Amino acid sequence: MRIDAIDMGMKIAGAIVRPLVYVTLCLPAAIVVVTSFTAGESLRFPPEGFSLRWYQAAITSEPFMNALWSSTRLAFIATVLSLTIGLASSFAIDRFRFRGREAFRTLTLSPLVVPMVVLGLALLQFLSWMQLNQTFTGLLIGHVLITLPYVVRTLTASFVLFDRTLEQAAMNLRAPPWRVLRRITLPLIGPALVSASVFSFVTSFGNITLSVFLGFAGETTLPVQIFTYVEHGYDPILAAVSTIVILVTLIVIAIVEKLVGMETVA
Amino acid sequence: MRDANLKAGPADFGDKRTLSADSHTAIPVVSLRGISKTYGDFTAVENLSLDVRRGELLCLLGPSGCGKTTTLRMVAGFVEPTAGSVFISGRDVTALPPYRRDTGMVFQSYALFPHMTVGANISFGLENIGIPKAERARRVEEMLTLVELTELTHRYPRELSGGQQQRVALARALALRPAVLLLDEPFSNLDAQLRVRLRDELRLLIDRVEITTLFVTHDQEEALMLSDRIVVINCGKIEQIGTPEDIYERPASRFVAEFIGSCSILEGVVSAGIFVSSSGLTLPLNGAAGQTTIVVRPEYIKPATASSGPNRLNGRVASSNYYGAMSRLRVAIEGDALLMECHFPPGTRPAVGDAIEIEIDPAGIRAIPAPPGNA
Repeated sequence: MRIDAIDMGMKIAGAIVRPLVYVTLCLPAAIVVVTSFTAGESLRFPPEGFSLRWYQAAITSEPFMNALWSSTRLAFIATVLSLTIGLASSFAIDRFRFRGREAFRTLTLSPLVVPMVVLGLALLQFLSWMQLNQTFTGLLIGHVLITLPYVVRTLTASFVLFDRTLEQAAMNLRAPPWRVLRRITLPLIGPALVSASVFSFVTSFGNITLSVFLGFAGETTLPVQIFTYVEHGYDPILAAVSTIVILVTLIVIAIVEKLVGMETVA
Repeated sequence: MRDANLKAGPADFGDKRTLSADSHTAIPVVSLRGISKTYGDFTAVENLSLDVRRGELLCLLGPSGCGKTTTLRMVAGFVEPTAGSVFISGRDVTALPPYRRDTGMVFQSYALFPHMTVGANISFGLENIGIPKAERARRVEEMLTLVELTELTHRYPRELSGGQQQRVALARALALRPAVLLLDEPFSNLDAQLRVRLRDELRLLIDRVEITTLFVTHDQEEALMLSDRIVVINCGKIEQIGTPEDIYERPASRFVAEFIGSCSILEGVVSAGIFVSSSGLTLPLNGAAGQTTIVVRPEYIKPATASSGPNRLNGRVASSNYYGAMSRLRVAIEGDALLMECHFPPGTRPAVGDAIEIEIDPAGIRAIPAPPGNA
């Protein structure tokens, strides 16, 4: 009887809390999307009328479109580099017992715990000493640094779960090491690779702090562009740009879902 | 190459039948020469030498942690010996990586590739040695016919039962026609009934393809039933090599006697064909005089009848357990205890504390050679 009452109470609480969580999560985005279709001049909810004028403004706005391209290119290259370095690092951490292995693991994960502002400041000084400040390479180094922990964490976790007798079985079936890697190891950690690249891409694409420190006139990322725009204007073009970003993200997730299934990524 | 001219039936492995005539003089398929493996202070295998003859099923039997799996892995090339050499078909392969060794292994967990179908799993090794596609397909078909799983070609390993997975693993290992098949506790992941059935099937299949097999198990029943010869290993060393009958009936050490089957072990002294145990029990025994350890298997002890011979002993039942086909009694005599296994008609099984007169078949009394340095 008592247990039933508790069960019932939990069920009701769940029924109330769950929609609340979903609404809180989705509402800001929904408001932005709805606002972007306004026909008026100001960023306001509910919007005044319906039009696509702010979308046209966004698409024809050179600063925003340049920034979108910049961000995409940066996130893509950073992800490729991060995945390459991260895969090699995770492999070494998992397979070899070398001196300073724990220190190495901690080092690859450290950008997660160092405050981004500190990292940005440090990189600014370091890169200018390296004569790399105000360059795409400098910005890229920064982004690889902040995406690497996600890649290493995801991949080391998948290596731990990886059954190494499968590799031995492949070797027993006359497969030399590179073939084992290509036919057995990589396909089996494939979902983790996809998941790592999604994390990496999103982290780089959405980063603002580091980009503020390392960006420069010719290389403004989208978050930085939005941020600086807000400082002197506050019109619905921001809502339109944000909606485009949300759309792009959803498309990426849909493609990943189609390719490997979302449950393996999460 | 063994596979170049395969004319005979699907399960025929070509050359074995013709070579089996001189199998005892031929080069051993696997030969281990003084191999050792140490991990820091721990010695897993110590100076072990053995030969696997062509076409035989040799079993490495021992308790867990005795070094039998390490030995098997040294043959496959996954573990590098600290000392000694491994020969396969007369060639020193000690320094060769696993993928250059002519072995086919079935892992304890089967290790089927989860992202490949049954057919692709079997085909994988064939691709690696460069067999053309048409020939591969034919060989996969042949292997699946051999293990009677043709209808499962397109299934994934997770869709198969444990027994089916085992057969796929076997087909995958055999597809390359290796010089030696290595089996690492292949039945340990199966339930008891399936284990017995698959054991019979495996023996039939191995006989059919006539492949030399090195088999690792800790299950003595499995070893006795499957093997041509058994190597009993303890603490990284060989205790005894012999046929199942040798091992069971003529154990070379106390460890072998106790590990294989059940038995009574008595310490005592032999003089003039009579063994006298330390607590005064006397038994006939033809053997060298002096300090001796003897083994008596339980099936050589029966309740005495009117026609029984001179080897009668009076004792008291110390424990009495019913096992269905037979009952197991522990009979206390003098200060010793003898184990007997015997069928009693329903209602006649003696209870604990009952007096019992037993007779021992003298053929079942064996002296164990004293361990070296312990006279």
